[in-house]
Amino acid sequence: MILNFLSMNNYGLFVWGSFAITFIACSFLYYKTLKTLKKYEREFAREINELSSERKKVVIENSKIASQVLSSFSKTI
Amino acid sequence: MFKILNLSNIFYWIEKLIGFINSIFFILLLVALSFALIFSPPDYLQGDSVRIMYVHVPSAWIGLASFSSIAILSIAHFIFKIKNIKLITKSIAPIGLMFTCLALVTGSIWGQPTWGTWWAWDARITSMLILALFYIGFISTHKFITNENKANKISSIIAIIGLINIPIIKYSVDWWNTLHQPASIRLTGESSIHSSMLMPLLLMFFVLILYCALIFLMKYKTEIIKIKKKNLKRL
Repeated sequence: MILNFLSMNNYGLFVWGSFAITFIACSFLYYKTLKTLKKYEREFAREINELSSERKKVVIENSKIASQVLSSFSKTI
Repeated sequence: MFKILNLSNIFYWIEKLIGFINSIFFILLLVALSFALIFSPPDYLQGDSVRIMYVHVPSAWIGLASFSSIAILSIAHFIFKIKNIKLITKSIAPIGLMFTCLALVTGSIWGQPTWGTWWAWDARITSMLILALFYIGFISTHKFITNENKANKISSIIAIIGLINIPIIKYSVDWWNTLHQPASIRLTGESSIHSSMLMPLLLMFFVLILYCALIFLMKYKTEIIKIKKKNLKRL
């Protein structure tokens, strides 16, 4: 029964091939997008941390996004 | 109303939505794959090769819908000059390109057992290939033109010209004699696909739409951070 399911009545290579290509492409795009997002978040958090304490305070007060990114990366930096 | 459109609020909702999609995605994917690969019946003519439809058709729909959205938003950008629109189109384009390529590749794999050939210079297939080239042109302008305003203008023109190709793709199977079968699913009128195949198809489409939303939100979030990073010195 399992062999029947895998062979898909001799169309297995085509069916599994199509699903595998879709899965690989989707996983690659997800991984690449996540990696780029994390890279920019890390760089942004590092740049804020490199500011003088006074400027850093101003940035955090004026930008909700900066404070959110910083809080999510405070543990790693 | 305008407070909602503020980048900080958008950023907050993006984080919430990403979390929500992540929490339901894998369960829905498992359900959709079970229907597509196990519960749906084989076709009386094509046998089990019909299951390729469950990735091929949603990929083609997403490729077409993404480009239509990009083109309509580019027209809006030309009229209203809202910078946020460009962030959206830039985030959609890679998703659309990937699904257009997937539609071409899975269509080619489906073509071998069904038509006996991997490729034919058929109206539907050729017009889909042209769509992929428009996507490549759109993405390349943002990648290789450093002047942002110029890149936005050129990419908008590419998207608007590319919009002409969308009805050509849609009606190519009606206008010309092609190997590709005519549409089985119609928004107006009766669909010729049985509900036992329509349900898994719509489920797979929904799951892939969720995936697209997830990638779009992550890309959009990256674009917002890029802007905030640039503006850091001004704060």
